[in-house]
Amino acid sequence: MRSTLRRLAGSLAVLVLLLSTLATAVAQEKSRLDIVLERGKLIVAALSPTPPFAFTDDKGQLVGFDIDIAHLVAEALFKDPSKVEFVVVNSEGRWPAIESGRADMGVGGTTTYPDRAIRVAFTRPFIDSGISILVTKKSGIKSLADLNNEKNTVANLNNPQMADRAKKFFPKAKVLTFDTPSAEFLAVQSGRANALQIDTAVAEYFANTSKDQFDVLPQMLTPSQNNGIFMKPGDFKWWLFLDTTVGELRSGSWYPKYVEVYQKWFGKNPPPQKFYVPQ
Amino acid sequence: MLKFERWLEVYGPSYLDGLGWTAVVALVAAVAAIAWGTALLAVRLQGGRWGGRAVDAYVQLLRNIPVLVPIYIIYFGFPLIGLVWPAVVCGGLALVLQNGAYISEIFRGAYQAIDHVQFDSAKSIGLSHWHTFRKVTMPQVIVYSLPALGNQVVLLLKDTSLLSAITVAELTMHAKLLTEQTGAAYEAFVVVAVLYLALVGVFEVAFGLAGRAVRWP
Repeated sequence: MRSTLRRLAGSLAVLVLLLSTLATAVAQEKSRLDIVLERGKLIVAALSPTPPFAFTDDKGQLVGFDIDIAHLVAEALFKDPSKVEFVVVNSEGRWPAIESGRADMGVGGTTTYPDRAIRVAFTRPFIDSGISILVTKKSGIKSLADLNNEKNTVANLNNPQMADRAKKFFPKAKVLTFDTPSAEFLAVQSGRANALQIDTAVAEYFANTSKDQFDVLPQMLTPSQNNGIFMKPGDFKWWLFLDTTVGELRSGSWYPKYVEVYQKWFGKNPPPQKFYVPQ
Repeated sequence: MLKFERWLEVYGPSYLDGLGWTAVVALVAAVAAIAWGTALLAVRLQGGRWGGRAVDAYVQLLRNIPVLVPIYIIYFGFPLIGLVWPAVVCGGLALVLQNGAYISEIFRGAYQAIDHVQFDSAKSIGLSHWHTFRKVTMPQVIVYSLPALGNQVVLLLKDTSLLSAITVAELTMHAKLLTEQTGAAYEAFVVVAVLYLALVGVFEVAFGLAGRAVRWP
C-alpha cells in the first residue's frame, strides 16, 4: 500500500519537473518569420478533413481551398508554392499545434471569433463563411423551426460557439459532440443524428457529394463569418507578413492568384472586393 | 506562463462530472469484463474442442485490434443494422469485449498454475464440472491472477479516454472541450493527468487491499 502511494507521488514529481522545463522553454525572442525563412520551409497545421477547405483526395494528397492558400503563402515566402509541410490536426488540436510552435500557422475552415482572439492571433479573413445546417432528406426537416424538436439529434463540433448556437436556435433538439467534421458526417450517415452544424461551404460540399440524401437548410445560423489564418499571438513581424499576404491576395496585387484558387474550389468568382474591379 | 492557480479556481470544479463518468464507466466495465473473462474461461475449459477453438479465435481477434476500432464499429456501424444504443453503452461494450479477452487469458495462466491433482480429487468426491469450476477452479484463479488483473483494470481505466471520440462526456472529452474553449491545452491536460493518476491510485489501493484480504496464511 505504502509503495503504491510512493510510486504515485514519484510520478507526480516527474510531471511537475516536466512542466517547469516546458514553462522555461517557452521564452523565445526570435520572430517566426526569420525562423521560417532560415528553415526554407513553411509548416502549416491543417484542420482536416473539412472539405472543400482541407481534405485528403483519392490519391492521398492533402488538398483544398485553405491548402492552396497555404501554398500561396509559401510562394510569397520562397517563390515556391511546394515548400510547405502540413500537420493534420483535429478541432481542439489546432490551438496547441501553433502555441507549441509545432506549426508556424494554421488553416482549415477556422472562424475568427473575438473570444478566440484572446488566445490566438488571426489575419484578416481570406474567405467569407457562415454556419449552416445539413439535414438528411429522410428527416423531413425544412427549417430551423422544424429542427427545434425533441425527436431530432444534431451533431456538433466540440467548440463552445457551436454549443451556444445549439442553445439559441434549437434548444429542444439533442446534441452530440465530435472532434472532426468527418465524425459529424459519419454520425448523420449512420443515423445517429439527423442534422449537423458546420461551415456553409463544408455543408454544401457534403450535400453535393452524396446527392439525394442531404439538404442544406436555406436559413443560416450566422450569415456572416470570417475565416482567417491563425497563429501564435505576440509575434508582430510574423503576423504582419501573413496579414499583408492575405490582404494582397484578397484585394491587391495577388488578386488574380486568389481568383484562380477560388474558381478551382467553388466554381465561381469571389464576391467583389473593390467596386471598380471588374468581375 | 502557466497560471495554474487561476486555472484551478475557474475550471477546477468543472472536471468533477468528467471524473465521475470516467470512474463509473471504468468500474462497471471492469466488473463486466471480469465476468465476461470468467465466462470465456468456462467455455474454454468445459466447451469441448470447438468451444476452445471459438474462444481462441475470439481472443486472437480482439487482442490484435486497437480498441478504438470496435468502439467505432459499435457506435457508428450498429445503427446501420437498426441498433442505436447510447454512446456510453457502445463504448463500454467495446471495452468489455476487448478486456474480457485479455482477462480470460490471464485466467487461463492462473488456471494452469493450479495443481491438477485437485481436479482428480474433486471428481473422486463426486463434484460436477460446474461445481468444480465454481468451488475449486475460480477461487484459486482469482487469487492467483489478482496482480495481473489489477494491471488490466488500470489499462481499461486509461482506455476509457477513447470514449471521448464518440461523444461520451468523460475526463478526456472535458479537457478537449476546455482546450477548444480556452486554447490552453497544457493546463487542461495536466489537470487530467493528475486526475487519472489519482483514479489509478484508488484502483491500485483497492486491488492491494483485496490481495491482502485473500492471501493464504
